[in-house]
Amino acid sequence: MDVNQAKQEHLLALKVMRLTKPTLFTNLPVTCEDRDLPGDLFGQLMREDPSTIKGAEILMLGEMLTLPQNFGNIFLGETFSSYISVHNDSNQVVKDILVKADLQTSSQRLNLSASNSAVSELKPECCIDDVIHHEVKEIGTHILVCAVSYTTQYGEKLYFRKFFKFQVLKPLDVKTKFYNAESDLSSVTDEVFLEAQIQNITTSPMFMEKVSLEPSLMYNVTELNTVAAGDEGESTFGKMSYLQPMDTRQYLYCLKPKPEYAEKAGVIKGVTVIGKLDIVWKTNLGERGRLQTSQLQRMAPGYGDIRLSLEMIPDTVNLEEPFDIICKITNCSERTMDLVLEMCNTRSIHWCGVSGRQLGKLSPGAFLSLPLILLSSIQGLQSISGLRLTDTFLKRTYEYDDIAQVCVVCPYTSNEC
Amino acid sequence: MDSGEAPAQRPVTLDITVEDVIKEAPDPPEPVSQTPSRDSILPQEDSIDLGGEFATPQEDSSATPSDSLMDKLNDQMMESVMISDSPNNSEEDDVGPIDSFLDGGEEEETAQETSGDKEQSDIGQNTTEITVSVEEQEKVGSEENVEEDTKEQTDAQEQVSASVSPQGDTQSPSVLKSEEPASQEAKGESPKNESVPVCTIFSQGTQPKSLVPDGFQPTLIKSPSFSMGSGGGSAEAVTPSKLTAPLVCQPSPSLSKFFTDNGQTNPASDFFDSFTVASSFISVSNPNAEIPPGPSAAPIAHTPERQLSSTSSSISTPGGPLDSGAPTPSSVFGPAPTESTTKPQPPPPQAIPAPAQAPAPPAAQPQPFNQLQAVFPGSDDPFATALSLSEVDRRHDAWLPSEETRKVLISVATQQYNPAYVETNRLTMPGLKFDNLQGDAVKDLMLRFLGEQAAMKRQVLTANSVEQSFTGLKQLISSKNWRAAVDLTGRLLTAHGQGYGKAGQPTSHTTDSLQLWFVRLALLTKLNLFQNAELELEPFGNLDQPDLCYEYYPTVYPGRRGSMVPFSMRLLHAELPQYLAKPQEALDRLHNLKTVCLAILENLEKGLAEDGSMITLTQENRQVSLKLWRSRLSRVMYSMANCLLLMKDYILAVETYHSIIQYEPQQRVQLLSGIGRIFLQIGDIKTAERYFQDVEKACQMKGSQPSHTTCVLMNRAFVYLSQNNYGEAHASFIEVLKIDPKNPVANNNAAVCLLYLGRLKESLGQLEGLVQQDPALYLHESVLFNLTTMYELESSRSTQKKQALLEAVACREGDSFNAQCLKLV
Repeated sequence: MDVNQAKQEHLLALKVMRLTKPTLFTNLPVTCEDRDLPGDLFGQLMREDPSTIKGAEILMLGEMLTLPQNFGNIFLGETFSSYISVHNDSNQVVKDILVKADLQTSSQRLNLSASNSAVSELKPECCIDDVIHHEVKEIGTHILVCAVSYTTQYGEKLYFRKFFKFQVLKPLDVKTKFYNAESDLSSVTDEVFLEAQIQNITTSPMFMEKVSLEPSLMYNVTELNTVAAGDEGESTFGKMSYLQPMDTRQYLYCLKPKPEYAEKAGVIKGVTVIGKLDIVWKTNLGERGRLQTSQLQRMAPGYGDIRLSLEMIPDTVNLEEPFDIICKITNCSERTMDLVLEMCNTRSIHWCGVSGRQLGKLSPGAFLSLPLILLSSIQGLQSISGLRLTDTFLKRTYEYDDIAQVCVVCPYTSNEC
Repeated sequence: MDSGEAPAQRPVTLDITVEDVIKEAPDPPEPVSQTPSRDSILPQEDSIDLGGEFATPQEDSSATPSDSLMDKLNDQMMESVMISDSPNNSEEDDVGPIDSFLDGGEEEETAQETSGDKEQSDIGQNTTEITVSVEEQEKVGSEENVEEDTKEQTDAQEQVSASVSPQGDTQSPSVLKSEEPASQEAKGESPKNESVPVCTIFSQGTQPKSLVPDGFQPTLIKSPSFSMGSGGGSAEAVTPSKLTAPLVCQPSPSLSKFFTDNGQTNPASDFFDSFTVASSFISVSNPNAEIPPGPSAAPIAHTPERQLSSTSSSISTPGGPLDSGAPTPSSVFGPAPTESTTKPQPPPPQAIPAPAQAPAPPAAQPQPFNQLQAVFPGSDDPFATALSLSEVDRRHDAWLPSEETRKVLISVATQQYNPAYVETNRLTMPGLKFDNLQGDAVKDLMLRFLGEQAAMKRQVLTANSVEQSFTGLKQLISSKNWRAAVDLTGRLLTAHGQGYGKAGQPTSHTTDSLQLWFVRLALLTKLNLFQNAELELEPFGNLDQPDLCYEYYPTVYPGRRGSMVPFSMRLLHAELPQYLAKPQEALDRLHNLKTVCLAILENLEKGLAEDGSMITLTQENRQVSLKLWRSRLSRVMYSMANCLLLMKDYILAVETYHSIIQYEPQQRVQLLSGIGRIFLQIGDIKTAERYFQDVEKACQMKGSQPSHTTCVLMNRAFVYLSQNNYGEAHASFIEVLKIDPKNPVANNNAAVCLLYLGRLKESLGQLEGLVQQDPALYLHESVLFNLTTMYELESSRSTQKKQALLEAVACREGDSFNAQCLKLV
């Protein structure tokens, strides 16, 4: 009880209570039938209980609000609200009361008090109330520092502080994965798919109000999280868009470079900023939280110095019959190249024409289209391989294998086989 | 630091503090060994590197491997997370760490080395503790990660560096230097290189990393509104291991402090501690812990035995009066009335009940019989009466026992074998598992806080002060003296030979003994004494033993069929596990009940009797049966939905509540509103609003009843509440009060809203007024809990005010009052 004595030095008492959302009281229905021993007694007791739903007493979830019972957990992105009450416990009038509430995080100190002006006087049994709100932006230890200074009626200036420590935890685990769609034949090119796994690592269910990808300047984004059904797309997550504790959900987005950037897609190299995920969730009675990821970055697929893509290729060809493909060769490097094309036969793919021919000079960013003829000697799905480009300036050879696949069929199946 | 410090000095301290935290931070040699790394973070506010932080703590976790210890510490963590308003922090010695944290610089300057040592140890202690708990959380998340991270031991920086791509460009050189080696190390060390590092990179500082094996990139999360402004300039430390480093915090009180003698620690921290204590509204206390169970049984048993002598004798020889002349129901009536006349009991029950009821003690008659008796008071046609009663019996007692049980019953009926030879494991042999609850928490509190004299004034009914009969039992129940009522059921059951210690001994069952068990178990459940209820229910197994069926006692209940177990008891038996953290078991049992209900309904629809036998029922009779079994089915569905809600399986819960509407169309409005509230609880406000709109439509269809209008307004208020609009929510609750000024829910909720609006005094005044004016409605644990919480927030004299509440409770409430909501202890 020495603690009390320590407190009694002060005329004012400071109390703090975190205002999480109230909860709905649940009652515990126990019923019986009229024929049972208690008759209607249990029913009557339940009807008289003010916390039950009248007319549906067995419904467990009532309407009575109860104040938060403990501090609970607080998560990054949520709003910390707290009631601060300074009560005059003494029987004298206290003057010039200044209540200051600061939040000390590991990196900064914020003032949360609504007003910084002093209250001129506080009568006995009266209190100064303040409700503070702060959106939590840091993880880890936070300390709420409440300082009260005041003057007694004898002119004595007094001052005390109290500290309230709490931990801010991480609510979500977000993992991302990129899938590069190789530019297709028509060179529309370079879609990127982003898969984001979002896991609820809190202990309560979480309603995901919004999970969206804010693309960077270069991209347009399409969300792929609905299945077209009627006018409005139906969420791929079903009717209930909430996440149980430890549940993970996968969101998929398709990003296309904007036309002005798409032109240069062939030469986009290295890192590109894709955008960031914006996540808004709600929990008990609308307690809201919001987080953004950092800029998601993606390594554009490395094309090396020279990019070889296909502009045209048949999907099905006949066995041992020559067919045409058109290759597009783009110089992705910063220098001019002088290229020589070699074509090496593989077990199944046989190139027609002269190997080792000069393609001439190719300046940076330029491309050339190259029709080639080849045939396959083996049936089935065959991989086109064996192109070699050599830059005669640097004596460097680039190998292109598994450029594409064709299906090789035997045209005489019906007759011969 | 201590309370002796002159108050006048404090402002000075404050000033220094404010500046120092930042200025002095970089160079604190200082007790707080971790400070440097923390401080290095200071300028870098967008560095909320979630992954990094999670990676770090695990390292320390390896130091504390014991699971149980971790759990404990985790609990402690939860506590320390609480804002504990402990004067320790501000005025006492323990303040050390915090103050040093805040005033670190100042302390250095003033060279108060004295406190240094202590602080350090404190800090150390805290760091571990916190780490552990974080680790725990992580553990739940991904076991592999923990493993991996423990290997990696160092800190988040490795991870960061690991993600630095080789072609990395302009990162600040210092960072690169410091990190590069670490990265190699990290790579080398963890060969399996867990594909999904939880750790992340900074948005600005880092290079894109080449895809990790599985291609998943951990992503840094930060709050969008995080200010980019302050101190972004420094290019140093990238991923400081925040969690390990800066956890400078005051020593958390030991577990024992929290859980046992928090009364002594300090009143202020109690403020919040008591929240936790109170949070377990459910008090499962084992009364045996206090009373030595064995010996006390005897004296208690004595009295009832005498008082009930008539009862018990009639039970011990239940067949007696009947055997003589009871082949037909009508003839049974002969002995019955005479017996009733010999007894003082007002409802002479034997007149009504079918043969089966004859052996029952007179007091045992359930209400409906009294009513029925009124209907056929001097009926000239006893046969008709008996017939209609047997209809009622058949309808209510119908049950579909398991195949095995059925075989036993058939062989009993065909006299193939004597019931005496049924193996004991197929018999139900219940007995009391504890004999006296003996509690009145309110009185105990009065003794403690108000003194003996005040406590003497507390007068509640006890098992001794009422008639030792069903009438007395009902009296105790309706006066909310459920503990005493449990005691009384114990006495009555002892008289039936199923008293304390009788479990496992052969006994015979009657309608009344099972009703008594039902009442006892129901009351235990109502008192939240779930474990006790489970213990005593255990001998009943799954309520499917042959000796719980009337057919098992052909001489006692000639011609009567079905189960003696009241349906409500089956329901209770099914629901019970959900309160004991075994919701799956509860669901299994409820599904079994549902299956039987459905089968019986099918039988009825096919024109058969409930149990599938080929008895022709009159149309009227069938309708009544169908109605009964549909209502039972809907009751089971309700229990399932409630159980699912407890399990937080909201999808199924909502579905189930929704399906109840077809059985209980008159509850449509309440059910839809309830579903809406479930969605609000999840946080899905839009869907909740859709359901509330359905409610409004349903209300319009039914025309405007005041109850519906309140319902609509109430729903609206909850939506406002969920939108953080406490002002409008308050207004809506006030609207409700205009229609229904006595609505306790609206009154309480309006007061709660006021608190969130920062109007504590008003809120308090309102609740206090309500409790004084209309104690019948407002001496409810939820209201009292709110009120005491506000008392605690309001002033340091909350204890006196709570004691006043205790006195109010004492003169009105029975012994079943949940005194925990007063938060006096």
